[in-house]
Amino acid sequence: MSTAASARESILHETSAPALRSAVQASLRLGFARDAQANQTVMTASHQEPPLRVVRAFSIEHGAALAHLHNVSGGLLGGDNLSVNISLAAASRAQITTTGATRIYRAREDAAHTMVRIDVSVAEDALLEYLPDPAIPFAGARYSQRTVIRLAERAGLFWWEILAPGREARGEVFEYECVELKTDVLALGRPIAAERARLEPKKRAISSVARLGKYRTWATFYICRVGLGERLWLELEQELRAAIERLAEPGETLWSISTLAAHGLAVRCLARHGRNVLPGLHALWDAAKFRLYGQHAVPPRKVN
Amino acid sequence: MKELEHLRLLHLADSALPIGALAHSFGLESLVAQGFSTRELPEFLRGYLEEAGTVEAAFCREAFRLVSTGPRSFPAARWIEINDRLSALKPARESRTGSASLGQNFLTAVAGLGEFPVLMEALHTAKNSASVCHHSPAFGLAAGVLGLDEDRATLAYLHQSVAGLVSACQRLLPLGQSAATRILWDIKPAIIEAAKRNAECPAEDARCFMPLLDWGGMEHPALTTRLFVS
Repeated sequence: MSTAASARESILHETSAPALRSAVQASLRLGFARDAQANQTVMTASHQEPPLRVVRAFSIEHGAALAHLHNVSGGLLGGDNLSVNISLAAASRAQITTTGATRIYRAREDAAHTMVRIDVSVAEDALLEYLPDPAIPFAGARYSQRTVIRLAERAGLFWWEILAPGREARGEVFEYECVELKTDVLALGRPIAAERARLEPKKRAISSVARLGKYRTWATFYICRVGLGERLWLELEQELRAAIERLAEPGETLWSISTLAAHGLAVRCLARHGRNVLPGLHALWDAAKFRLYGQHAVPPRKVN
Repeated sequence: MKELEHLRLLHLADSALPIGALAHSFGLESLVAQGFSTRELPEFLRGYLEEAGTVEAAFCREAFRLVSTGPRSFPAARWIEINDRLSALKPARESRTGSASLGQNFLTAVAGLGEFPVLMEALHTAKNSASVCHHSPAFGLAAGVLGLDEDRATLAYLHQSVAGLVSACQRLLPLGQSAATRILWDIKPAIIEAAKRNAECPAEDARCFMPLLDWGGMEHPALTTRLFVS
């Protein structure tokens, strides 16, 4: 074994879960509502079980509330079974982000998949901006995520997710065992966007031309506002396509955009280097929010 | 399978069936513009069958089973749900519209070949509900109505899908007739595997990860020169 590989094995061993740790089952429920008098969204309900934590909601521009999701254990471990429930009442506005990348650690041989369930409901005229940092599955990680987002009449959504290939700086690229992402976005009870991705690098090559090819980081971004007509979405697709052309770097970063079946747009990014992704998402978010709401996007306050 | 059913299935899966299949590359044209080569086609098709092909097969079977269990009223709500779910899984507008166009044309063509009230009801239900009829469930539904074998119908659907992609590549790439024939000949075990995979799994749970092809489909409207509708 080479010196670099030995060092990597040593680091990986150090970050494995302790032998006798039992899996964690925990839930986080957040509720947001608009205080009409103050014209401000406040967090009205919060049920938190460790390791999931939200310290408080901060008031930000345009009467919105900002909350940071914390995992006080530092990351997701094999066998963890976590659920996050986010509920926005009518006309409320919330921005939710993470404090850093979500680290999905190597699972023990006998551990179940790390399971995360996210349920979101956005009521009439409410707006949710869900802007997490990338998820980084470590070598040996086994992860399943189930997300269901329900949008009511005139509800708005900016929702992105970024999947890194692993700890690239340590030479870990597609060394996780399994990442499964099952997502449904429903508007007025009908599905408008869905994902059923199952990445198992050892069984089906991620670098295949049928999957990611030479690209390593994958991001998806949903821009929705229920009730707006097809023509507006086609116009917005054209406008953001112009922005995407400025972001694209041939051979390094691919961006694409398309209208959904109804009520929104999907943006996809494939990048060789993850550092190109977040700036692009911010630019598209800002352009889309200004078009849809007449307001510029306000990046969440945090260090990154 | 009896001879008549066998011939009907061959007819439904024939590229000459006038439904517009030759007009679609489903994102391949964009990939070729990015440098996708003939050499990569066999690997791409195997990946396609492992991912999107498995999903299409699952939806084909799901629709087949709507009508194959005997006389009862057409489950209109379930038909809409199947097609809405498949629409949601297709992020690229042109590919989604293309699949819907082929599905509608297919059902219309088959409905015109005899008395098939279920197929007419499927078309009307989709139209009245602001939904669509995607190609794979349309194929499965027609096969069920005609009393064909589910496994054979699913195989036939996948074979014509792959043949369509190979045909598109013959127009996009330096791919001659002999080489294209060889590729389609050699991919048959993968087609069989894709048809069998998830045969008992609900269509909603069938998995697909083809981000490059999704990109190709989503990017297709931006191509300055286009041979295909999608």
